[in-house]
Amino acid sequence: MTKAEVFEKVKKFIVDEFKVSEDQIKDEASFLEDLGFDSLDVSTLVQDVENMFDIRIPDEDLDKLTTVGELVNYVAEKKA
Amino acid sequence: MNEPSLVSMPTLTIGKLTASVPIIQGGMGVGISLSSLASAVAREGGIGIVAAAGIGMLEEDGTTNYEEACTRRLKSEIRKAKALAGSQGIIGVNIMVAQSNYKDLVMAAVEAKADLIVSGAGLPLSLPEYTQGSEVMLVPIVSSARSAHVILRRWYERYDRLPDAIVVEGPLAGGHLGFKPEELLEETLTLESLLPGVLQEAETFGNLKGVKIPVIAAGGVFSGEDIQKFLRLGASGVQMATRFVATEECDASPAFKQTYINARKEDIVLIKSPVGLPGRAINNSFLREISEGLRVPLRCPFHCIKTCNGQESPYCIALALVQAFHGKFKNGFAFVGANGYRISEIVSVNRLMASLKEEYQRVVQNLELLPPLLSPI
Ligand SMILES: Cc1cc2nc3c(=O)[nH]c(=O)nc-3n(C[C@H](O)[C@H](O)[C@H](O)COP(=O)(O)O)c2cc1C
Repeated sequence: MTKAEVFEKVKKFIVDEFKVSEDQIKDEASFLEDLGFDSLDVSTLVQDVENMFDIRIPDEDLDKLTTVGELVNYVAEKKA
Repeated sequence: MNEPSLVSMPTLTIGKLTASVPIIQGGMGVGISLSSLASAVAREGGIGIVAAAGIGMLEEDGTTNYEEACTRRLKSEIRKAKALAGSQGIIGVNIMVAQSNYKDLVMAAVEAKADLIVSGAGLPLSLPEYTQGSEVMLVPIVSSARSAHVILRRWYERYDRLPDAIVVEGPLAGGHLGFKPEELLEETLTLESLLPGVLQEAETFGNLKGVKIPVIAAGGVFSGEDIQKFLRLGASGVQMATRFVATEECDASPAFKQTYINARKEDIVLIKSPVGLPGRAINNSFLREISEGLRVPLRCPFHCIKTCNGQESPYCIALALVQAFHGKFKNGFAFVGANGYRISEIVSVNRLMASLKEEYQRVVQNLELLPPLLSPI
């Protein structure tokens, strides 16, 4: 799966589930600061992403996933 | 005459454990609830909890060898509590998710054969993984139905298991609070209002596995009447902390307990803790100096809490709480629940439990004596 494919899928999911407008979803958008997420939203999203891509994100890696781009890259690497 | 069995408190079952009194003594960190208090509560039929937070600081090598001191002392307190509690006594631990050595503490609790692990101050998302293969019961603490949902879903999907009970802690609790400061000002946010949503989540997920997940209400529970109220609202038990501080068996120093006796309502304040959460405490000159900016940042000796902003904070909360534990308040302060000012004497755990039972029974009897609202025909 390419990075662009992952990005589209994650973007669509965030727009549908978290009521964030499409143009807000950029690589550098921070979940907490730009998208209005709280820590529970982030946990929920991570779990949804795990299910969607059939991967597992260990807790130790969560701190590194603060922006859309970081999450997308992480998933793309795992699915490469 | 009333049958005593009809009016006495129900038992509380958490997985394979059954407590004869539906009261969990809330874990109180940095030395306040250790083996003495926990075992006294367990001997009275409740569930006694040893708190892991900062426990290593009570050891001589606490500042130089913090992590090892923590697991060593935690294990020794659990073993001591279990021995003192007797074969029927139920002893658990409270471990905060935000503690940097969380996983090690969980493993130490399992090794020392704690009966249950109660865990909040963060989402204990990986707790089942750390306890795999053990029989220990797992009890997350939540502050909302949403956080209950996130934990239930994660445990169910990833580990195919569910919590053995859930503690829902409302805004009147003592210690660190799982709410934003502005939420704490909302009058509509109460334990009573949080409970139904958490019960609903527990039921929805419990049904998936055909089990009942008991929900325990915490935060401001003070009297037998309060216990009756929350059981009537659907809770299976309560968790109480503040009341257990004012007991002879509580592990804190006499001076710590005395601050509870002396506290007036206006002395109980919300503070901004360095760990990034609000907290409730008894105001004193130390806390006033901090709020007035009269204290300067220290270096951080332990990195004991993941989320703690140790470098910028004007004080180290771990050190301040150790001072308080020893009864020294020049550089320390005491956490307390919102109802702490109502405490006027120090009693034995036996007496406290007896008075809670009596109050409970009185309320239940009075309810039974009331004429039914709609008498049939
Ligand atoms: C002195 C003190 C220390 C506490 N320490 C902890 C702790 O280490 N971990 C935790 O999860 N809760 C802690 N709490 C919260 C209690 O376990 C409990 O859930 C809460 O205080 C219940 O409200 P109550 O005190 O009004 O009964 C503490 C509370 C007090 C008063």
